[in-house]
Amino acid sequence: MYIMPKSQARALAAALAEEYDLYGPVLREASGEPTFDRVEDPAAIRLEAAIPYNPPKSVVFPQAERVLSYRYDREAKKAVFVRDDLVRPKALVGLRACDLSGLLCLDRFYLGQDYVDEFYRDHRKRMFIVANTCVRPFPQCFCVCTDSGPAPREGFDVALTAAGDDYLVEAGSEKGQALTRRLGLKDAGPGAAARRAAIVDASIASFDGAAMENKAWISRVMNRITTGFISNDVWEYIGDQCFECGACSFVCPTCSCFNVEDIDSREGRTDRVRSWDSCSYEGYTRMAGEHNPRRPVEDRRNKRFFCKLSYSQSKKYLRPGCVGCGRCNRVCPGDIGIANVVTYIRREITKAGAK
Amino acid sequence: MSTRTGICNFCGTGCGHLLDVAGGAVRGVFASPDHPVSRGRLCVRGWHIHELLSTRERILAPLMRRNGRLEPVSYEEAIAAAADGLGRHAGNEVACLASPRASNEDNHNLTKLARTVLGTPNIGLSSDQGHGDAVDVLLEGAGFPAMLGALTEIRDARLILVVGGDIARLNPIVGSEIHRAARAGAELVTLSSRSTQIAKLSGRHLWTRPGGLRPALAALAKILVERGWHDAAFLRDRAEGFDDFARALAGLDLADLAAASGLEPAGLEDLARRLAQAPSAMAFFTTGLAGLDRASTALLFDLFLAAGKIGRDGCGVNPVTGICNIVGSYDVGATPRFLAGPRRAEGPAAGRTPRELLALEPTPLRALLVADRDEEIVRHAAKLQALDCVVYVGAYENPFTEFAHVVIPAATFAETDGTYTNAERRIQLNRRKVEPPAGVHPAWRVYADIAARRGAAWPAASAEDVMLEIAATVPAYAAVTYAGLEKGFGLQWPVDAAHPAGAVRFDAAAAPRRLRFVPAGADPGVPAVSKDFPFLLMAGKANYFWHRNNIMKKTRIPRREYNALLLLYPQGFVELAASDAKALGVRDRAPVKVVAAGGSMRVAVRISADVKPGTAFVPYFIEDMVPGFLNAAGVTIDEDQDSAIPVRIEKG
Repeated sequence: MYIMPKSQARALAAALAEEYDLYGPVLREASGEPTFDRVEDPAAIRLEAAIPYNPPKSVVFPQAERVLSYRYDREAKKAVFVRDDLVRPKALVGLRACDLSGLLCLDRFYLGQDYVDEFYRDHRKRMFIVANTCVRPFPQCFCVCTDSGPAPREGFDVALTAAGDDYLVEAGSEKGQALTRRLGLKDAGPGAAARRAAIVDASIASFDGAAMENKAWISRVMNRITTGFISNDVWEYIGDQCFECGACSFVCPTCSCFNVEDIDSREGRTDRVRSWDSCSYEGYTRMAGEHNPRRPVEDRRNKRFFCKLSYSQSKKYLRPGCVGCGRCNRVCPGDIGIANVVTYIRREITKAGAK
Repeated sequence: MSTRTGICNFCGTGCGHLLDVAGGAVRGVFASPDHPVSRGRLCVRGWHIHELLSTRERILAPLMRRNGRLEPVSYEEAIAAAADGLGRHAGNEVACLASPRASNEDNHNLTKLARTVLGTPNIGLSSDQGHGDAVDVLLEGAGFPAMLGALTEIRDARLILVVGGDIARLNPIVGSEIHRAARAGAELVTLSSRSTQIAKLSGRHLWTRPGGLRPALAALAKILVERGWHDAAFLRDRAEGFDDFARALAGLDLADLAAASGLEPAGLEDLARRLAQAPSAMAFFTTGLAGLDRASTALLFDLFLAAGKIGRDGCGVNPVTGICNIVGSYDVGATPRFLAGPRRAEGPAAGRTPRELLALEPTPLRALLVADRDEEIVRHAAKLQALDCVVYVGAYENPFTEFAHVVIPAATFAETDGTYTNAERRIQLNRRKVEPPAGVHPAWRVYADIAARRGAAWPAASAEDVMLEIAATVPAYAAVTYAGLEKGFGLQWPVDAAHPAGAVRFDAAAAPRRLRFVPAGADPGVPAVSKDFPFLLMAGKANYFWHRNNIMKKTRIPRREYNALLLLYPQGFVELAASDAKALGVRDRAPVKVVAAGGSMRVAVRISADVKPGTAFVPYFIEDMVPGFLNAAGVTIDEDQDSAIPVRIEKG
């Protein structure tokens, strides 16, 4: 463990900017709301900002990405393929623990199974991650219920924990070690680990008062969702409130579903574009032969919460599919962000228990 | 990822978004967390606007028809051909169709081109009828021709009445605000002839028969007034015409109205009482497609006026526009019924829409300029083909260019500066975020160049200059500047010396004149079924898909969703209640024949819980089907209104 004065954070970002494209939390000019964005000026990164409105997902999984381009030569009967290779090394500075957990979920989906997704891999492989402990929770947070925070545990190169005027700095990789050396950081001394643990414990303890969703009953609801003992009325109540906008998928740090489409141009070039998709759309599960196993909206919603909260799905991610960031609650035009859905299911559990 | 703040260009909600711009192109979109209306939400359309902005189906070069084919020409040639072709005609020989999606600056210049250079009052908007009626009623009743309340005040309303179309589908973020208000304790009531999502989210759904909105609103007003539940003190201080209104209501029979509406008198009475007792109340209705007719709009206004729910906190009669800049298009006078303001056009200043001119036999029209036409359905195709000159100005490829002699490309909203006025009168500035393709100009510039070719030198050199002209023309925009708009998220008109920061809502206490009851006019009655034609057929929008429009098909995910429905019902569908389908002996997707007095069509059955037994619904958006049937049958069924025709449905 090292120690670094807070004033040196800018130097840390500037050092990374020499090698990497910088991304981090910035504040919108009009309102001061934080978003996660590409940053040209290292000074624009605001480590103290609340959870950004958008997750860092689009850095590794862009909303729309050309994965292939080809041109078919009719006379030669040959297709010429062009592969873009514009992927630049990226540094994500100030990643919150929930978002880092989300990234690790995406890793397991895209890299950890039989098939390795090379486009995702290219974005991911030359990456430097500076994680940031939440020394206090934000009102939307429930990472303590989903085992994804408030402190980062793995997957970072460097992790920062604010401690007074300083950051306690933990190196999580060779690259991270090299950066601490380059910045000339001092060793934080023998009590540092305990000091960090105390800060994290205090943060966890303050969820009760500061975070609105901290009693989200995630584990009880996981049990219910996994075993399927949830009445149709509850799903219909949830389905009626779904505006089918797709926002919950788009803001979710772990949602990885995509659609692939070939787009022809008049000049004869075809682009293969992969874009974010969402299980809230009817067309998402439509199959050949016009069969759709999840046509009613409540069936589609049920699919989402199964994906986020069932045990069978968690086995794939090695953790729950929800990282407790609370973003879906904020963007939902209905009132069916995950914390609310957990509440609706909990209500049913308590009602059943009362009988 | 490098995001820039902007305003969504689809519907009249005017949500804030963040466009992800990199390498001179739009790569993505994200909801803007800080916009005062959308507060971090977008709908399925808004979440895919980057797909439209990055489509390859753009018009990239000026084109002219030569030997029957459109061929690339220089910009100067195209401008000259357009100016000469349009300029050969005047009066009723020429007309312009403005786009409700275009900026105030574009539509100001097009209006100016039509009225001052081409010398015609014939400037229309596509999809304008329903909103025109709302403007008319609100102008007459309140002197305030747009939403009287505010979208940002929905959470202050204790009772919310949604009338007609499904606001949760047409303007999802407005629907969301209404839903959130209801979750927080407001009473939500829907009055509609079909079950809709907002009806499902409502505590009460008064499910009328088709054509029943107007008698239902008249019944509510009659009950409210005759029980003495109206707000007498408010009416005494702020309104005029109440005695005439009460007299007109006295001539109506409550039992007849209830029967015509298909509602129980007790349910109507209950709603009238709740409306009177609520400390604040708002009415919402969508305009344009699936909007209300003028009489229903007038009755709704009068009902709320009688209840004292106008011009106060958390109150208002609120038309919600389906396309981003319908309100602004009216403000700058891009319509034949109104001049800039909007104020009523009288005498020779009142014109006709291109559609009205084309419907005349024979049509006087010889030349036509069309901007950004959204609809796929082309009426009067033969007459369009016979015109001497058709000019099309637009950003995207469009089937309408088949009729064009001259095609001039235009910049998209992300490629030029421009302002757009949303349903709550919020004038919002979209800045240029990417460069337009080489040789492509903003539409306001195209119109100025056509005017210049006709000898009119317009001084405005930028969109901001055009806004200064608008501010000098439209009193409610008098104090608008780009700098002022850019300080926050736009300003709600009136923005003038008395309201430099705009006005959130209409204020009855500060209004320059009294509120007036608006006569609804004679009752046309509701359509009746007979033994031969036992079903009432409604036509309207399909739930999911928006404005049956050309631009949604240039996206990927929304287009897929649209296609998912088309693939299930390739020949279109008619929605029937399960009990009716059973009585006919047909299953879902079975072919049936819909027979009206003048014609018939074959479609598939879609069994739906959203229509009541004895009624049927066809979505209007499927080309060739509904308009073909309706035109061939010689039947008029106005898609904009709560109207219906009697039909018979036969198996096979």
